[in-house]
Amino acid sequence: MSDPPNSTVLSAVEASRQQASSHRGRALLASVFRALFPFTVLLGVWWGAWAIFDPPEIILVSPPTVFSAFIDAIQDGTLPTYISRSVGRLALGTLIAAAIGIPLGWLLGIDDDISSAFDPLLRFFNAVSGIAWLPAMIIWFGFTERTILVIIVYTMVFPITFNAMTGVRTIPRRYRDACRTLGAGRLRIVKEVYMPGSFPGVMTGLRLGIGFGWRALIAGEFVVGTAAGGGIGFFIFDARTQGSIRKVMAGMIVLGVLWLLADRLIFKPIEEHVNERWGAVSE
Amino acid sequence: MTELTFELPKTPASRRVKRFVVPLLPFAFLIAIWASIVALTDPAIGVLPSPMRVLEAPFDDSSTYFDNIEASLKRLVMGFTVAAVSGVVVGIAAGLSRRVAEFLGPLSTFMSAISGIAWIPLAVAWFGVGTGMVVFIIWNAAFFLIFANTMLGVRLVPKVYGNGLLTLGCSRLQVIRHAVVPGAMPYIMSGLRSGLGFGWRAVIAAELVGASSGLGFWIFEQQEFSRMDKIIAGALTIGVIGMAMDRWLLAPLERRTIERWGLVGTSS
Repeated sequence: MSDPPNSTVLSAVEASRQQASSHRGRALLASVFRALFPFTVLLGVWWGAWAIFDPPEIILVSPPTVFSAFIDAIQDGTLPTYISRSVGRLALGTLIAAAIGIPLGWLLGIDDDISSAFDPLLRFFNAVSGIAWLPAMIIWFGFTERTILVIIVYTMVFPITFNAMTGVRTIPRRYRDACRTLGAGRLRIVKEVYMPGSFPGVMTGLRLGIGFGWRALIAGEFVVGTAAGGGIGFFIFDARTQGSIRKVMAGMIVLGVLWLLADRLIFKPIEEHVNERWGAVSE
Repeated sequence: MTELTFELPKTPASRRVKRFVVPLLPFAFLIAIWASIVALTDPAIGVLPSPMRVLEAPFDDSSTYFDNIEASLKRLVMGFTVAAVSGVVVGIAAGLSRRVAEFLGPLSTFMSAISGIAWIPLAVAWFGVGTGMVVFIIWNAAFFLIFANTMLGVRLVPKVYGNGLLTLGCSRLQVIRHAVVPGAMPYIMSGLRSGLGFGWRAVIAAELVGASSGLGFWIFEQQEFSRMDKIIAGALTIGVIGMAMDRWLLAPLERRTIERWGLVGTSS
């Protein structure tokens, strides 16, 4: 193509690159500090309140006590087992809910008659929260894994369906019309327009759904209890029964950190990627 | 979303049929299936009662039923009021000041990551079993949503309005009152709307453990007696109340707010 760039240009590029990376490094450090600062203050307030009021152990314990409870639970193996059980349940629930919700959402998004007929039914059952079905599920399925799974799937299906539907609806009509003009059949349009076009909506629905499902999971594990072999939700409520606030708080923090990590490291990057790749349709 | 559809104009009557009758069909279909399953297999009443039985169930002991609804709604009103006031105030502060936002933003993300239900054991330890604890859980479920929406709304109000008022000699408080709050109103309303929905779910979840009255308590108590008719009636009541609040109270309020104040753009 063109002549190779001479060495002075190269070194100038190199220098500016280095400068940029050190700049980026400093910016990263600053952003980490800025993100951690509020938590440091919170920790300080918690520790301070504990030191001043010296509350009994069933009300509040100090941060180091919670940390040691966390270490204990990891060493005796309960926490790792419970976390993997909970995550496994959530993953299975997500698969089932996605398999139901995404096609249903597409159907509702594509066909206005179907959506006007079924929308109120779906909204109504969405308003009956999954937790409200827990007693009924316990009667039907007993204190089992299945009860938890049904509640998770129930909770997740609605946000996934509604967002897949919105995803289809936000596709500009002209894409569909263009395909049709070029002679594409209905199935072809679904494959070429609706599926890729609704992708951002589907991803949003999955992310929301997993968030809701995670909450439902906690409630389900708590109600079903030991019978299903534990889980992070069970860990917290079991700790309460034992009167161990240190374990309760350790479990809560694990829950929050797990969710944040999943959100930042998995869901957000996927969603951003999807929006970049497919998001052009919702201009 | 405005959509361009190319349909032939329909007569109002057929449109009304489409709007009110068609959505009822799936409900009717569902009830018909349910009734025929009951008629054909004749299951024990503790497993699947007939639709009629579910309809009658609350009135076996209607005063208990209505007392429990009242208890739940009272808690919701209390918790939601606290959440609405604190969420809007803190949200406005965070929307106006970068520093407040940078401080509270990560905390609020983390706190809302610890789902409301997981707070129940700690809340029981702090407040004991009863209304205080349920109110705390409702606050916890609704606050972060209202806070985040208010902050977003305040940020989206064009600076010109506030600056204009300042130039005209308004105080900072007047700017907040006449530019910031009205400008952010559509977002505040949508935050309140979803906050109330989450709050209602939280009431049920909290009552499951930490109360001796309320709809959530009631359905879990019935589970011990295998009274499936009352459980289904209770679950449906929860849905009806949740939907009625949203449809007839908050959705119209939100719509009106957007019509009245929606200069900054609307959120569906």
